[in-house]
Amino acid sequence: MPVDHLLPSLFSREEMLKELGLSSIEDLFSDIPEKVRKEFNIGNGKSEYEVFRELRALARMNKCALDMPVFLGGGLKIHYVPSAVIEIISRSEFYTSYTPYQPEISQGMLQALFEYQSLIADLTGMEVVNASMYDSATALGEAARMAYSINRRKKIVIPKHINWEKKSVLENYIKGLNMEIVEVPYDPEKGILDEECLKDAVDEDTAAVYVEYPNFFGIINENVRTASDIAKEKKALLIIGVDPIALGVLKPPSDFDADIVVGEGGILGNPPGFGGPLLGIFATKRKYVMKMPGRLIGMGEDAEGKRAFLMVLQAREQHIRRYKATSNICTNEALCAVASAVYLSLLGKHGLRRLAKLNIYKAKKLMRLIDSLEGFKAPYFQGYHFNEFTVLSEIDPHVIHEGLLSRGVHGGLILAEEFPELYSVTLYATTEVHSDEDYEKLISALREVYESVQAGKI
Amino acid sequence: MYRQARYEEPLIKELSIKGAVGVDIPEVDVDIPEEWLREELPLPEVTEPQVVRHFTKLSQMNYGIDIGTYPLGSCTMKYNLKISELVSKFPEFAYIHPYQDESTVQGALRIMYELQNMLAEITGMDAVSLQPAAGAHAEFVGMLIARAYFEDRGEDRTEVIVPDSAHGTNPASAAMAGYKVVEIPSREDGTVDLKALESAISERTAAMMLTNPNTLGIFEDNILEIAEMLHDQGALLYYDGANLNGIMGYTRPGDMGFDMVHINIHKTFSAPHGGGGPGAGAIGVKGFLKEYLPVPIVSREGERYYLDYEIPKSIGKVKMFYGNFLVLLKAYVYIKMAGNDLKKVTEQAVLNANYLKSKVEKFIEVPGKPLKKHEFVASAKRLHKERGIRAMDISKRILDYGIHAPTMYFPLIVEEALMVEPTESESKMDLDRYAEVLQRIISEDPEIVRSAPHNTRVRRINEAKANRELKLTWNDI
Amino acid sequence: MAEYEIRDDRLYTKTHEWALKESENRVRVGITDYAVKKLGDIIYVELPEVGTEVTAGSDVATIDSVKASESIYAPVSGKIIETNEDVVNDTTKIMESPYDDGWLFVIELSNPEELNSLLSPEDYRKLIEEEEA
Repeated sequence: MPVDHLLPSLFSREEMLKELGLSSIEDLFSDIPEKVRKEFNIGNGKSEYEVFRELRALARMNKCALDMPVFLGGGLKIHYVPSAVIEIISRSEFYTSYTPYQPEISQGMLQALFEYQSLIADLTGMEVVNASMYDSATALGEAARMAYSINRRKKIVIPKHINWEKKSVLENYIKGLNMEIVEVPYDPEKGILDEECLKDAVDEDTAAVYVEYPNFFGIINENVRTASDIAKEKKALLIIGVDPIALGVLKPPSDFDADIVVGEGGILGNPPGFGGPLLGIFATKRKYVMKMPGRLIGMGEDAEGKRAFLMVLQAREQHIRRYKATSNICTNEALCAVASAVYLSLLGKHGLRRLAKLNIYKAKKLMRLIDSLEGFKAPYFQGYHFNEFTVLSEIDPHVIHEGLLSRGVHGGLILAEEFPELYSVTLYATTEVHSDEDYEKLISALREVYESVQAGKI
Repeated sequence: MYRQARYEEPLIKELSIKGAVGVDIPEVDVDIPEEWLREELPLPEVTEPQVVRHFTKLSQMNYGIDIGTYPLGSCTMKYNLKISELVSKFPEFAYIHPYQDESTVQGALRIMYELQNMLAEITGMDAVSLQPAAGAHAEFVGMLIARAYFEDRGEDRTEVIVPDSAHGTNPASAAMAGYKVVEIPSREDGTVDLKALESAISERTAAMMLTNPNTLGIFEDNILEIAEMLHDQGALLYYDGANLNGIMGYTRPGDMGFDMVHINIHKTFSAPHGGGGPGAGAIGVKGFLKEYLPVPIVSREGERYYLDYEIPKSIGKVKMFYGNFLVLLKAYVYIKMAGNDLKKVTEQAVLNANYLKSKVEKFIEVPGKPLKKHEFVASAKRLHKERGIRAMDISKRILDYGIHAPTMYFPLIVEEALMVEPTESESKMDLDRYAEVLQRIISEDPEIVRSAPHNTRVRRINEAKANRELKLTWNDI
Repeated sequence: MAEYEIRDDRLYTKTHEWALKESENRVRVGITDYAVKKLGDIIYVELPEVGTEVTAGSDVATIDSVKASESIYAPVSGKIIETNEDVVNDTTKIMESPYDDGWLFVIELSNPEELNSLLSPEDYRKLIEEEEA
């Protein structure tokens, strides 16, 4: 009886049917015509214990970043989630609640989300932050749509060096508006936006210019200032993509006069989770608030003058504006945002700065270690890096990848398929989760693989 | 009597102690160029116990399914399995990176593969993508698939039909994909007006978005006819899966003539709502639309599971990576546990809704056909005239009894609407109590009802003022 | 019915806009007192751009209140030649003075005959009475 224990009224079925004047449960489905009647078959249910055992077996088929060092980034980094965060979002008053449409009974969630908005506002220097989008890519897509609604222009200028998935998402989000993407190549020496090409790409039909820092190659010193100047000159909006942990030590995007800020907030207090759920940070200037998508929490007063939180400016959203809504988004990533609020509260002013510096420190250390190996150059693109960097290898990165795996190490992100001009370049990410032993393991594995290839063994 | 916790809990920033930090992280020296170095980082300075206490108190000023009845129509606030919560925290699921070599994530891929299949079977579809992050997101995908499909056929279709009873995400998603939304009026009983539909369908129609049972909890028994009308014009029929809980085991969207379906993982399949998210919105399609699905889906070759990018006419991606995996995992656990007994789940959901309806319709109007599926819509229109209390007032007063309000003012076609979906997780006692409470509220002094709530953390909030004098972060205070 | 003001110097639409003929081809448009009272606290208004061509009955503007959003439809066809920027900055003007300071936009008529299809003040009064029933 796999679900009986979850169905309280099952045990009163007879009584209830009698009160309704019905003889069997089937009577409640007499409105479903014969022609459409169909059962499905997915097999018998199982007990909780059986399912638990099965899930343990499936878990054992995965090798997680705690079992073997994983040096992957490319838009999502692996950061440690403090147990206090997990504790808080495991409280069922939070996770079994719904969207706070009845604010009086949902002050807990609302205050937590208001604090999330405020913390991100402080981190990015922006005036208004929404209560989350699905991830950094959809946040970018929505930002492009918002730019159009503000200036009615159709082009969105982006760096060629962004995660290809992000670009595909952006394409889909602007399709309905017949907008077009204009890509700006990167300087092949420096790995940052080519200034001349950027200047040529932006014109009077540019709705917005999008730039990231650190950029896709992990470089901090991207041409953000230049992008800002060029965008402002042509009266295009500036959308900046950020890494919120890097902002612990880097200048906030408000310093570059960003009109919209997007980024991957999932890394603030949420595990990578095989890619989801994530958290799209979305922030903008106050003057654009009516064009902003997503839910927004505001502070007000109740009938007794007490401080109270509530969802505001709901008229922008789909349940009121319907086809004219700023976005179709309804369910967002609220609980992930609460996790981020707890995370940022725990780290705070001092912890986040230390964490950001630690990430830079570790990346530099790893870069030096890899660079000292024969057959490898790190970083490939020079410049200041956050926690990700490019590595050039003499031997085929695919061979390296296999060699590392067989030695219990997961190498970086191979760029060969999406960036053929960077065939031999791999993107390595490292964070506070890696230990010196992890680095040792990687270095000796790389050395071994290289030597094996040289000796003709592979 | 219900009394919610009433802490005057300050904002976390207001708890700052100079120099304090809540995580132990070593201090290191790094070289950052002047022009990139941040000067001020105005975040809070608090320690771990302070943070935990703060958020724990906040949680006590919040209401969830684990506290009481949460009959929000259209949301399916059913009990969230605790085994799902436990499993989602296994590090082998939480700490895997989406770009890891497939050989190192076979467990995750297998879960996604099996879930794809189970959802396809439950909904009568041929292929499923787990990529969308929510129902609305999946609706958007469905609209993009329609676009790709018709572009491929060289057909210029610019309109999407939506009944006026539809959830706001339907027209919003269609509009986002670039379609013109054609809204058709429903009949008095809430079902699709076939004549209105007929006039609305043309060679410009790409699709119709519909849910069955509809947003009044009534089963559209004309569904095959509706499907035929659209298919005759070469248009597609899209199923909004929000109401799937009302039909499992009895019928499937695929057998009702739908070409595309989205599933709200956080509704029907017990994944928690999280205070607004995260959810997951799988999308299923019939075979002829499979080639347009977002990439990748998970496929299998022998014993090996892999990310399949061989979808020739795929619309591309709508989200980074493959979907909200940790949320999908919870649905996987639920479906594995229930198996074919999901039918029993639907039976209880429908029994609960009809039972509760039979009790409340004695004192509040419930328009439309008498037999409902898993939810029903009541109208406070008459009560407003007779006693001066509106749907809003009743909703606020219910909170005082420790029950969450129903969905208010939706669907738009019912005046002073109150949409009630008890779900299968309520006992007969809970339902009896709900009916009692509703009856009591209706006979109470209208002034008490109009000034409700009284027992919650805050009283009724001045929304107009908060919308005018916007305070959106603590920097605005 | 005394609660809703209806001016006798102008015409009305079924969707609660008023149209005031100012000259042979100029029509000023706004929303009625009834519409304002139904909307509640108006917090935002989106007006069409000057120069936009509109057709009678088309959705040209949006007014948002705290809990609702209403489309504003052009009573007649023509071109938008003026918009009231004042109400964009201060939406209370619409609530306090829907027939005067709270006007929304001016249309240059392309087909004066269309004015004949609009509702007279008396017809509009009847419409409201029906809706209130």
